Amino acid sequence: MRDDELRGIEPSDLELVRRGRTGDDSALGMLAKRHHAAAYRVALSLVGRDDLAQDVVQDAFLKAFRALVGFRADASFRTWLLTITANEAKGALRRAGRRRETALDDAVPVTSDEPDPAEAAVVADEASRARSMLERLPEKQRLSVTLRIEEGLSFREIGEVIGSSEGAARVNYFHGIRRLRELME
Amino acid sequence: MNDFECGQVRELIPDFVGSRLAAEDLEAVEAHVTRCGECRAELELAQTILASRPRIPDGLLARIAAAVAADRRSHTRPWWGISAAAVAALALGIGLSSQRAEAPVDVPGFAYEAEEGDVWLSDDGLVAGAPLFDGLSDDALMTLLDEISLDGAGGAA
Repeated sequence: MRDDELRGIEPSDLELVRRGRTGDDSALGMLAKRHHAAAYRVALSLVGRDDLAQDVVQDAFLKAFRALVGFRADASFRTWLLTITANEAKGALRRAGRRRETALDDAVPVTSDEPDPAEAAVVADEASRARSMLERLPEKQRLSVTLRIEEGLSFREIGEVIGSSEGAARVNYFHGIRRLRELME
Repeated sequence: MNDFECGQVRELIPDFVGSRLAAEDLEAVEAHVTRCGECRAELELAQTILASRPRIPDGLLARIAAAVAADRRSHTRPWWGISAAAVAALALGIGLSSQRAEAPVDVPGFAYEAEEGDVWLSDDGLVAGAPLFDGLSDDALMTLLDEISLDGAGGAA
């Protein structure tokens, strides 16, 4: 373990990328640990099926790590990885020769630490409903909402992932939110 | 404390629910939503979306780690080859000053190049009321955004 890690200082993604380029397996492991959840959620949002989403995430990490030497840090590693993940997901759908499936069983809501079971059930129901409504949004709106709320990406970063301008990402997000509110009513 | 407008608050709602706001902005958003029903409803929707995040499958991280390890065993990448060569050269006392461990290779930096055919399978055009935005100018997008905000804005009291 390195000095900074022994002191409890988390290395930045950029530092891990630098170490990963020199063959440091532990650095690659830390990058995977940090970002696999976001990559999975993006993949699942696009392909709609757990098994396919896991394949996509695995392939995305392999491609990212193989291409690490070409990462120029003009975007964050996270945004770069999610862009690769989104492209892998689209490729997987194309190879499967079909569009995204809706798999609500994969969208198990994360329940809060709510002490009241009845209230918790209401919260979980509402979360499930929101997820099913989210899946009905057009692809770019759905991904813009997911990346902004769940992953905290800026509109500029969302634009990079979905292949649009920052302004288009912002409009996709707000259109998606407005549509969701209509569907939830 | 700042007195935020609805537009400012809606920009910040995702960061509010994700606990990514500085204290001053946090307080300003809280103050705004106590008196603005529209923004409060949007904040509650964002909280619900966040609560509905899919669970991450057990074993996914281990699966990635195993795949990466297997991949590293089966491939000789340029940067590893150079690194190994550099180590060997040092051991032999041979200078390799002209070679760098991070020699550039033909790999995109940020703009990941999708394979041919990996285009967005966008269903935007198939969904009623779901326009395509990519071809619009920034001015047109801002106008559209204003219209969205006006449509949904109840405004602070």
